[in-house]
Amino acid sequence: MAALPAEAGAGSVAASKITIRGLSIDYVSEDGRARHRALEDLSLEVRENEFLSVVGPSGCGKSTLIAAIAGFLRPRSGSLLLDGKPIGGPGADRGVVFQEYALLPWRTVLDNVTLGLRLRGMPRSERDRIGRQFLEMINLVEAADKYPHQLSGGMKQRVAVARTLANQPEVMLMDEPFAAVDAQSRMTLQEELVRIWSQSRLTVLFVTHSVEEAVFLGDRVAVLTPGPGRLKAMIDIDIPRRQRRWAELGNNLLFATLRQRVLDLVRGAGTPP
Amino acid sequence: MSVGAGASFRSGAVGQVAFRRIERGVLGAAGVAGLVLLWQAAASLSGVPRYFFPSPRDVAGAFTVLLEKGILPAYLADSAGRYLAGIGLGTAIGLALGLALGVSRRAASMFGPLLNFFYAIVEVAWIPIFVIWWGYGLRTILVALVYVVAFPVLFNTQAAVRATPRVLIDAVRALGASPRQVLGEVIFPAALPGIITGFRVGAGFAFRGLIFAEMIAAKNGIGYLILTSAANHATDRTIAGMIVVGTVWLVIDQLYLRPFERVTVERWGVLRHAEE
Repeated sequence: MAALPAEAGAGSVAASKITIRGLSIDYVSEDGRARHRALEDLSLEVRENEFLSVVGPSGCGKSTLIAAIAGFLRPRSGSLLLDGKPIGGPGADRGVVFQEYALLPWRTVLDNVTLGLRLRGMPRSERDRIGRQFLEMINLVEAADKYPHQLSGGMKQRVAVARTLANQPEVMLMDEPFAAVDAQSRMTLQEELVRIWSQSRLTVLFVTHSVEEAVFLGDRVAVLTPGPGRLKAMIDIDIPRRQRRWAELGNNLLFATLRQRVLDLVRGAGTPP
Repeated sequence: MSVGAGASFRSGAVGQVAFRRIERGVLGAAGVAGLVLLWQAAASLSGVPRYFFPSPRDVAGAFTVLLEKGILPAYLADSAGRYLAGIGLGTAIGLALGLALGVSRRAASMFGPLLNFFYAIVEVAWIPIFVIWWGYGLRTILVALVYVVAFPVLFNTQAAVRATPRVLIDAVRALGASPRQVLGEVIFPAALPGIITGFRVGAGFAFRGLIFAEMIAAKNGIGYLILTSAANHATDRTIAGMIVVGTVWLVIDQLYLRPFERVTVERWGVLRHAEE
């Protein structure tokens, strides 16, 4: 395909989908007493249709960044723009996938997947038809009538991804989605995400503490400094989409090099390019 | 029960569960029979006057008379009507306030201390004032019942709403839910086990409250029967009334409240636990 270089993520023509400028966020603890700066003067652009991974040491404010873009919390200062318009609160244009799956335990798998469609009043027959398509996409049609507690962690997270995609957001925000899944399932889920994303071509912001995962999935990898987080480096991952399978990347030199470079940056040894 | 039987129950033998249920029923009945026999013996041997300490046979006789004259059915119907109206209204009020206070921290701060203050004043203390305001009758009894039901429903609802996992609320908001949809899709179902626990506690309080309120503020009903019979030295009728009270509660609790709680609370509880 002629579009391969662009597909690899190095393209610089793509428009900015999310623009973050000078973002500072204070995190206030539950009891309202303790307060610390989670993000400090962070500037970042997420391009239209790109898959951007964000890594950083724990406590660098990665999850805070997701929560801010999702509209769950207000910045202290700075601006957050989606398609050039300020983000005011949560909205269906930004889907979120959480580490804790966040499926409704009293709803079946199908009803969880079609939740967003029900919220906007789509009739049952129509939303079930769409829901089944998405269950097919994640190979879980047979689980349609099960309840979340009957599924494994990996299956739950696939349902959560299907729920987000079925709602047709413009951006999918993923907050360490595979961190609670066992290692085997995690690799399968990562490969599945590559496949699904290639089909949908959404803009994805994927937060993780795993350097390997960030490099495997991302068109670019944003490395944040230890908290309060700001952007330390942005690395292009020029590995074509179709090569992104663990069986192939295991002894891929470029993958190994990039992984090492990002790892050095995260651990503080490397210098920004 | 032996360790061996416990182990086979663990392995999921349905027969064992049924057997244990029957065994429990038989033992329960044996306990009742033993008490009645002891009571009969004590009444026969002590030789005190009937009105002072009636025997089970006297009470059974009184019970038959009350039934034949239609007094008991009529009074039961009176009490049941008040009870149902009281817990219905009390649950509705407690639920609405509990949801509001669970969702809004500001409302909780504003009304929390006040509600705790009123909760501490048992309904019994209010009844004299209610009687002054509304006289003897339905309205006083109803207000007293609503008062006792609303608090446990309110506090349990509030706590359950507070305990709703934040991530579920965020997930539904990110799918485009309005505040009202968040309440209906997440908060209410998540709080349902707590709401039902509160309802069950409130229903128990209200049942006791009902008998007491009827003793003071009614001209019919089971509570009235208990009080006036004793005043007229028809102690056997008083005891018959007491037995009716205990039996009716057992029936309500075993046949309605417990199964109701089991299907919702336990099921929901298991599901939620599995999710977290």
